Amino acid sequence: MDILFFAALIVYFAAAVIQLCGIALGKNAWCRIARWALLGGFVLHTAFTAWRGVVAQRIPLANQFEFASGFAWSAALLGLLLHRRLRQEWVLAASIPVAFLVLSYAAFQPMEIKELMPALRSTWFALHIGSATFSYAAFAISGGLGVYYLMQLKKGRAETDVRLLQTDHMIYRLICLGFLLLTVVILSGAIWAEQAWSRWWSWDPKETWALITWILYAIFLHQRIRKKWQGKRMAWFAIIAVICVLFTFAGVNKLLPGLHSYAV
Amino acid sequence: MQFGMALLLIVILCSVAGSLIVQQRSAMEYVTRYGEKQADLILSLGLDHVFSTPWFIAVMILLCLNLTFCSIVRLPKTVRQAKALLHRAGHAAADHSLTDKQHEKLTAFLQQRGFSTRQSGESTVYYKHLFGFYGSFLTHLSFLLLLIVGALVMVTATVTDTTVMPGDTITLEDGTLLTVNAFRIEDETGSLDYTSLLTLTNPNTQRTLSREIRVNEPMNFGPYKVYQQTYGTAGKVLIENLENGAAEEIYLTESCFLTLNGVDGLFYQALYPGYVQEEDGTVTLITSSSYAYHDPVYDVLSVAEGTMTPVLAFPEDEMTLGNVRFTFMEPAAYPGLRIKTIHSELLYALYAVFALMVIGLALCFFAVPTAITVTREGYALHSSKPQTGLMIDIEACLTQEEN
Ligand code: HEM
Repeated sequence: MDILFFAALIVYFAAAVIQLCGIALGKNAWCRIARWALLGGFVLHTAFTAWRGVVAQRIPLANQFEFASGFAWSAALLGLLLHRRLRQEWVLAASIPVAFLVLSYAAFQPMEIKELMPALRSTWFALHIGSATFSYAAFAISGGLGVYYLMQLKKGRAETDVRLLQTDHMIYRLICLGFLLLTVVILSGAIWAEQAWSRWWSWDPKETWALITWILYAIFLHQRIRKKWQGKRMAWFAIIAVICVLFTFAGVNKLLPGLHSYAV
Repeated sequence: MQFGMALLLIVILCSVAGSLIVQQRSAMEYVTRYGEKQADLILSLGLDHVFSTPWFIAVMILLCLNLTFCSIVRLPKTVRQAKALLHRAGHAAADHSLTDKQHEKLTAFLQQRGFSTRQSGESTVYYKHLFGFYGSFLTHLSFLLLLIVGALVMVTATVTDTTVMPGDTITLEDGTLLTVNAFRIEDETGSLDYTSLLTLTNPNTQRTLSREIRVNEPMNFGPYKVYQQTYGTAGKVLIENLENGAAEEIYLTESCFLTLNGVDGLFYQALYPGYVQEEDGTVTLITSSSYAYHDPVYDVLSVAEGTMTPVLAFPEDEMTLGNVRFTFMEPAAYPGLRIKTIHSELLYALYAVFALMVIGLALCFFAVPTAITVTREGYALHSSKPQTGLMIDIEACLTQEEN
């Protein structure tokens, strides 16, 4: 059934290419096609995820491959929900590339289904890791929209243009959502760590980097209260902060092994 | 606020340092890893234990003071702001004009969005989420409490690690008896399980509780929380004194020399989980396993009449050395338990703080206090934060009407 995974990857790729061309050439119809392709990829991806869950008899979020796949799935779902809310094609400018790129990363991770190790058998597993996938997806899309914002500025749109105001607002809302979910990730992780290892917090690299990411976005939210941190600066911040998110997501596992090493 | 942000930035820098530089190692290890000069710098700045240095603790204390200011001290101001919003909206002039049709459309839109209404002279005030004003207060307060309660939990909890052989009982500080009835590494299906069956008894209250504990499922008993922390497998040997018939079973957890006369005996070296026999008869030992030891091999030296002979022994093998008979038995898996004493009130307080933080953030982000003054001629939006999304939605609703 891995074919479903690769089919979803190819469809996301097609969606990303069509959408990029659509944005570059200013053709809204192409972006519409890209949205339908995203929906198609999402259906395939959902089928793959459900199948994997059934075969593994657990929530398929237990290693780096499954987590990355969940991250990409969340990005696609968030994109579709945003589109449903705003009914505008440009809102998918970031979700489609994010879904494709993260799923491509997943494709390079070991895919075999393994038994859930005892440390991961917990009622906190779903909440902790499920919120992490959505939190990372929200941050990654906000970073992608940051790039879109800067591109639109370069194209000559004014910061007061409705499209850019909306993009800026969307970046902020996504960061709020990501921040709230990251808070849930950290707090549920602390409760889980106490259940498993007796310590709420051990300054393990993964914990530490989640905290760094959290504080970084907290600083951002405070700076945003001051008006001059809206618009261009906000876009740059959203892009730069994603590097920290990606390091927490993948870099820590590879470079700073600790208690979360099973996530490799 | 900027001072608070500077403190948060310092916490980020400390955390980066703490995650990139290995913590709590010997001075020698820093020299080997990073070189002499860098090791000197790391040790003199305390970067080998960043999170317990006095300056990091000082930063945390300043953060608490700052948070006290932006939660408790600011509360009266927050209350005033919350009260002022409706008042301000009731007396504000419209800054966006409306046609009659747009007025109708706007009022329908606001009602559909769940706004409540209040009449103020000529104008109607539509308002929503006034309680959202307290989101920021709750968030900062919860963060402050998190630091305080978290520190209390850390300071008051005591942790002891111990290993107990199946069948053995240990006595805890207040006289509570802890017995390990059984321990298993694998369940019936052969999956890793690491489960201990424990019985705890408080002799003073006569309360007894038996339960299985495993990773993620500790057991609470009075002030104790008992965790399945680690495990090990010990060799087991039956020693019989052939002269007087005395016999004893002992566990072998580390290398030792078992002898009666100080000369002849058995030198135990190691226990291996299994072995592989090649076609040519040679035996390769399996050195480690997370699973139970299904084909255990004892690596021993028999010492007799001044000569030492290496021997690989298997369960049920016997060896007589001097006047002692050694019978190798099936090894025993045993648990490493962590026993933590905690004040359950603090634990519940911490859970409450966690919940408060999530509620506070949800209010901050998703319950933005908003009031809209609507008159026949126009409207004006008042909020504690920019309401770009709502403004755009209102514009869209009004222009749709005109189309
Ligand atoms: C330590 C120093 C801190 C100071 C001095 C500070 C100060 C402030 C101030 C003055 C505001 C504006 C409040 C308002 O307009 O009602 C604010 C908002 C906020 N603060 Fe803090 N804060 C600090 C730490 C934190 C931390 C650690 C968090 C993380 C949970 C946090 C989360 C928030 C949130 C979520 C908002 C609302 C932002 C928004 O709605 O966009 N603050 N803070």
